[in-house]
Formats: sequence, structure tokens, C-alpha cells
Amino acid sequence: MALKALDIYKLLPKRNCKECGDPTCLTFAMKLAGGKADVELCPYLDEAAKSVLGATTRPPIRLVKLGIGERSFSVGEEFVLYRHEKTFYHPPGIVFKIADTESPDRISTVTLRVRDEFFTRVGADLRFNGIAIENASSSAEIFARAVETVEKIADLPLVLITADPAALAAALVHCGTYRPLIHAATSENRKEFCALAKQHGCPLVVRAKTIDGLAQLTRDCTADGVQDLIMDLLPESLQAFIVRSTTIRQLAITRLAPDLGYPVFLDASIMDLPDAAIALGITKYASIIISSPLSPAVAEAALTLRQNIYTDPQKPIQMNPGLYRVGNPGKDAPVLMTVNFSLTFFTLQGYLESTRLPCFMLIVDTEGLSVLTAVAAGKLSEMLVKDSIKKFAVEEEVSHRKLIIPGYASPLSGRIEEATGWKVMVGPRDAAEIGEYLHEEWKR
Amino acid sequence: MVYDVNFGWSGMISEVILGATKADGGTRRISYRIGGGKTLPFLERKPGSSVPLIAFEICDNPQYWSPIVRNFCGDLVNDCGEWAQAADSVYKADMVRLYLTSTRQRDFSDIASVGKTVETVLSGTSLPLIIEGSNEPKIDSEVFLKCGEAGQGERLLLGTAEAGRYRSIAAAAMAYNHSVIAQSPIDVNLAKQLNILLKEIGVSRDRIIIDPYTGSLGYGFEYSYSAMERIRFSALKGDADLSMPLICSATDTLTVKEVREASPAIQDDIAVQWEFTTGIAAAVAGSEIICVRHPRTIPLLRKAFGSLNTEDSGKGE
Ligand code: B12
Ligand code: SF4
Repeated sequence: MALKALDIYKLLPKRNCKECGDPTCLTFAMKLAGGKADVELCPYLDEAAKSVLGATTRPPIRLVKLGIGERSFSVGEEFVLYRHEKTFYHPPGIVFKIADTESPDRISTVTLRVRDEFFTRVGADLRFNGIAIENASSSAEIFARAVETVEKIADLPLVLITADPAALAAALVHCGTYRPLIHAATSENRKEFCALAKQHGCPLVVRAKTIDGLAQLTRDCTADGVQDLIMDLLPESLQAFIVRSTTIRQLAITRLAPDLGYPVFLDASIMDLPDAAIALGITKYASIIISSPLSPAVAEAALTLRQNIYTDPQKPIQMNPGLYRVGNPGKDAPVLMTVNFSLTFFTLQGYLESTRLPCFMLIVDTEGLSVLTAVAAGKLSEMLVKDSIKKFAVEEEVSHRKLIIPGYASPLSGRIEEATGWKVMVGPRDAAEIGEYLHEEWKR
Repeated sequence: MVYDVNFGWSGMISEVILGATKADGGTRRISYRIGGGKTLPFLERKPGSSVPLIAFEICDNPQYWSPIVRNFCGDLVNDCGEWAQAADSVYKADMVRLYLTSTRQRDFSDIASVGKTVETVLSGTSLPLIIEGSNEPKIDSEVFLKCGEAGQGERLLLGTAEAGRYRSIAAAAMAYNHSVIAQSPIDVNLAKQLNILLKEIGVSRDRIIIDPYTGSLGYGFEYSYSAMERIRFSALKGDADLSMPLICSATDTLTVKEVREASPAIQDDIAVQWEFTTGIAAAVAGSEIICVRHPRTIPLLRKAFGSLNTEDSGKGE
């Protein structure tokens, strides 16, 4: 059971020496209580206190970092089964797999794709996260060469897939200092794999078909000094995945089985239905998802689902309210009013940019609600519009007094006109029609 | 050590029967019993636990339908009897959901045609049907009564009841022995309130399917996903007013920007992937009827549901 900050404080040395990185023992205790710090950070804790605190304060699922530099990412450190209970924090990495038997050209193409391709939604660039190289050749030399090919092109997080310690050692020569993820330690090769992971400071995947087997492996690996672990559940069907993954998540977050408190790995490319496996991995607790290079259709849907599931349910992605410019608007440019829900803003902005007519966007604070939702919830009012015009000094930016409002806000048009003294023009409901509307109605 | 999770659930999803076979006084070749779950979706490994049903959506005035589907289905869209038949024998759906889009025309008054359309679809397919009545409170009462009457004995699922307008549809359902879809905008409390309203006027729990409203992928789906999870969670915790099975229909999917503006060469692929991804995620969150509009989405969902219930031994009865 989780301890309260004060209970934890009682167990700390109370030296207030700041060596843990916190100004006082009490603030450190508060962090521990929130699962946001590691007991190991305090060098003065005695063993007894450590064992009491260790089990209850470390995050129930360990945070594991892959790669270094700009594209590195961390997974784990999750606290809930349902996103509505809090939120999910660390979106799963989607990693493209290539076999070392592929031609160097092909390997380069996939690497470049992961390095360069992105898809922009709601102001965020959605990307794939890394490259997994599979030792299909069974040759250490070919494996190492493939790794080298990738390494030369990009600093991407890598996953090294092999069962052979010699091949792994050869690959690590090229990338060992960049925190590649090693896949996978099993009951057979654990000793050698742990030694290599420890030597290079790399995170390690353990693989077993049963939950018991996984727990045994994580215990053995930590005893061998490798803490950064990820678990491959080897599911034989989608159902096997969902059952095992949910079981592990529940046992980990309730701290009933600390040996299972590690992120989950899923190789969707070897499942019967890879596309379904990806969607399932995203919703049901996978942290590293391996897939074959995805077609554009699957990629967009998967990345969007990931973005959706990993948005904080308590706060919609929002824009700062204000007056935004599209192009270089002059004194006679139109002013379009909308809400500060990011999705609404970026949708409208996209269409406005394609009309090539410079204009102003007046973004009012609806606390991140969309137009229809804000109208239904009473969050969009004539007073809000009036105050926003004043606050953002719109009257100094334009010489006219005409405000275009969203079609769905039409019930408010009369009241906005009265409150602001501006002439209100009701725009189309669908932002896709804004270009046509502006050309017909504004130009006149 | 045995690793087993016990969530401590005490509730169960209530069971609803859709469609009536000859034995039950209808003409359907199959009927489905959905609900009955006692834990999270797909965690039940007992033989015979059901997988979600896939409903194919059609309409009687294709002017209101996505051009992507109109292109793909071709002439079929102009004849809802044939379209329903294709949904059954070619696309292999589990159910057909008919939208009476003809009633959306301004000043629609040809109520008799509604009955004929429902009959046409009933004879086009022998699968259980979902019928979506009018969108206009003024004609609701007549339209729903007509639908109910035309499908008498068939145990239709009628849509859609909302907080402001549920009386006409409830009356039609009770008069002719059908079930209803109860839709509320993405909120567990609103869903509960509506179910209570329906209960108060006499619609029993085994006659209600909850539609928590599905925002499409990238446009509100995250809210719908959590609303579904919360409803399922409340049901398992024992809240009888939220224990009904869920239906998911992401009706805006084919009009979102990513799908609408996709290059023609891959537009079908994109549409299918957006429907498919939404459908899988909604099933995992608890939906037991997944509605789609693109025929190609059906086999993909079918296979995925198969792999999500490896111990399935058939759901029909
Ligand atoms: C996701 C969602 C929610 C989320 C909130 C999301 C958010 N951040 O706003 C949640 C679950 C919290 C929610 C809550 C509610 N919701 Co809600 N929600 C939706 C849903 C599914 C999608 C909204 C969305 O994201 N749209 C996408 C954005 C981009 O749309 P948009 O902002 O309108 O922008 C478009 C246009 O307006 C236009 N546009 C935008 N700006 C401008 C500017 C100009 C000048 C022009 C010309 C055009 C233009 O361009 C955009 C693209 O075309 C809609 C259903 C739907 N299909 O719209 C229901 C919907 C809006 N919600 C509804 C309701 C009733 C509610 C609640 C009141 C009920 C409740 N659940 O308690 C609450 C109120 C909120 C509160 N009190 O907190 C109803 C509204 C009914 C009505 N017609 O009035 C809807 C329509 C659902 C329904 N069918 O019943 N909702
Ligand atoms: S390092 Fe330990 S003793 Fe020093 S301030 Fe932090 S918690 Fe207190």
C-alpha cells in the first residue's frame, strides 16, 4: 500500500543535505509519495528504511529509456489501468523492423523513413520511433554490418533482435554506447545477455510465455545487475496478449507483483493480424511496438490512435487565447473568431492557409472546448467575445468592425453584435467551406 | 506463485436479444444474444462468450451518404433491398443498420414509404436489423410507429433515443416488441440519466443498448473511448442503470479531413483503416456492436475479433 509523505519523512535521515537533488528531506518525501523519485537518490538511507520504502515508493512500472539524444524516448512509469483514472504518460514507441538479410539500400530506405517521416496533427509532429534489426541471417558479421548501416544514417533508438550472444556482442561494438534495446533474454541465454547489457548499460527485453517465467527472469536479471527491463509476453493470439498484458498491468500498478513492474514489449509483425495487434498494443498497455514498415493508411490511423489514447483526459490540448495571424494581414483583413481547442484551431488554420487570403484569427478562451461543445456548455458567450476583442486589442489591428463567427455559434450572433458593437457575419459550419465563403462574402 | 487478477466485480452486462427467428415469431435466420459479460472485454475465456457483432450501415437516400461508399458500392446504394442483401451475402455483416435518410428531406411527409422501405430491407436480408428513424421531432412519432409496425415480431433494434426525444421511439418499441438505442453525448452520467428516463416509462433493461456517441478517430475518439470504459466499469461494479451492452458507430469517420482529402489511389485504404482502428479500440473498451460503412472494413474486423476470442464457439443461437 502507498505510504503518505509524512510516514515516508519519518524514515528519512533528516539531514537536509540536498544530495538527493531536493532542497529538504520533506520535499524528497513528497516526491517519493507521488512515485516521482527513487529511494536510491538518498545516499544516507539505512538498509532497513530502504527495503520498506523501495517497494512502496518506486513507480509501480519502471521508467526505461531507449536511445540517446533528440530521438531518445522513455516508456513505463504508468500508474493506472484506465486512462480516465488519471492519464497514460508515456506513449508506446512504434519501431520498424528490418531483417539483416535485407539489402543495404532497403535498410537505408527504412531508416531514412523513420528519421524523416512525420505526420502533423493538432500541432504535434507524430513520428515512428526507432529501428529494430533482426538477426535473420544468423551471422554475427552480417548483423553487425546492418547495425552499422543504420548507425551511419541516423541517431535513432535501436532494438537488436537476436538470440545469439556473439551476434549481439558484434552489434554492440557499433551502437553499445547509444542505449539500444536488446531483445531478448530467455531462460537459456540470460547470463550472457545480462553481462552484455550490463557492460554497455543497455536496457534489456526478457521473454517468456508465462507470467511466472517473466517474473523469474526479471528477478534473475536484476540480481545480475540489469535493472532496465522490458517484458515480451510472446502472445500466440490477440486474446493472449490482452489477457496477459492486462493481468500484468493490474498486478504491477496494485504493487501485488513488483517483479512484473516493467514496460511491455509487443512484436506486432509476427502476429497473425499485425494491424489489429498495433491498435491493441496502443490501447492495452504495450510500451514498445515492433512492426514492419507501415503503409501510409495504417500508419496514420495508428499514430492518431496513439495520440488520442495518450492525451490527458482532464485537459484537452489547448491553444493560448489571442490574436493570431495567417499570412501578413493588413488593416482591412477579415477577423475570424474561434475557440481555443487545438483541434479546432489547427483545422481552421489549415483551411485558412490554403485560401491564401491573409487574415486574423481571434482565439477566445473556452477552456479547450470545441465550438459545438462550448456552445452547448455555455462556455462561449457574447461577454467572452467582447472581452477578448478588448484584451487582444483587435480594434487597433483592423480598421473595420466585422467579425466572422463559426456557423455553429450562430445562436449567439445577435447577442455578440449587441455586446461588441461589431457587425457579426455567420460563417459556414464546416471550416472546409471557409475559402469559398471568404471569396464570396468578404470580397463583396 | 499464481498470477491471477481479481478485479472484484459484482455486476454483469445485461443481456439483450436482437432479431427473432421463426421459433420466436419472426423471420430472421438467426438471432443474437449479446451482453452477459462479467469482466473486461475479451478477458473472459469461457467457451461461448460472444465477440462483437459487426453491423453494416445503409440508407434509403444516398444523397446523405459518403461519396467514398457510393463509389465503392456502386448502383447498390440506390436500392436498399439489394444493398441489404449484399451486406448479408457479399460483405458478410452480422447485422444491417438502415438509416431512413429519406426522412431528412425538407417537409418530408410520405410516412407510408417508411413502412415499405423497412419491408424491402426485411425481405432483402434475413439478418437482424437496426432501423434508424427520423431526425426530426415533428415526424418522430409517425415514423417510429411505422418502423415498429413494419418490423412487428422481428425484434428490431430501433434508433435513436436521446434525452430530449425518447418518448415516441420508446412507445413504438414497446408497442411492437423491439429494443432501442439510447444515445447521450459522451458522458457516463448522461447515459445513466437517459436509461433511467427510459426505465420510468416502461422500457426494460433487456431492451436497451447504450450509444455513448463515438467521436471519430482524431476528432473526439479519446473521449468516447473513455466513456465506454467508464460505462463498462460502472456496470461491472454493479450499477444496473448502466449495465446495458454498448454500440459504437463512428458516423463522422468518412468525413474527417484525413479521409476526405486522401489521395484517390489510397482513399479506400485510409477510410477502411480509420474505421477498423476505431472499431477495434471501441470493442476493447466495451462495445458489442460495431457499425461500419465501408464494406472492406468487415473482414478485417471479423478476423481480429476471431483472434480476440480464441475460445469462441459461435455466438448465434
Ligand atoms: C469530443 C466531444 C466532447 C468532449 C469535449 C471535447 C472538446 N475539447 O471540446 C467532451 C466529452 C468533454 C464533451 C462534453 C460535452 N458535450 Co460534446 N462533443 C464532442 C464531439 C464528439 C466532438 C467535438 C469535436 O472535437 N469536434 C471537432 C472540432 C474541430 O469541431 P469544432 O470546434 O466545431 O470546429 C469545426 C467547425 O465548428 C468549424 N469552425 C471552427 N471554428 C470556426 C470559425 C469560423 C469563423 C468558421 C467559419 C468555422 C469554424 O471548423 C471545424 C471543422 O469543421 C461532438 C460531436 C461532433 N460531431 O461535433 C460532441 C457534441 C459537440 N457535444 C455535445 C454536448 C451536448 C456536450 C455536453 C454539453 C454534454 C455532456 N457530455 O455533458 C458536454 C459539455 C462540455 C462540458 N460541460 O464540459 C453535443 C452538442 C449538441 C448541440 N448540437 O448543441 C455534441 C454535438 C454531441 C451530440 N451529438 O449530442 N463533448
Ligand atoms: S539526500 Fe537524504 S538526507 Fe539528504 S536531503 Fe535528501 S533525503 Fe534528506
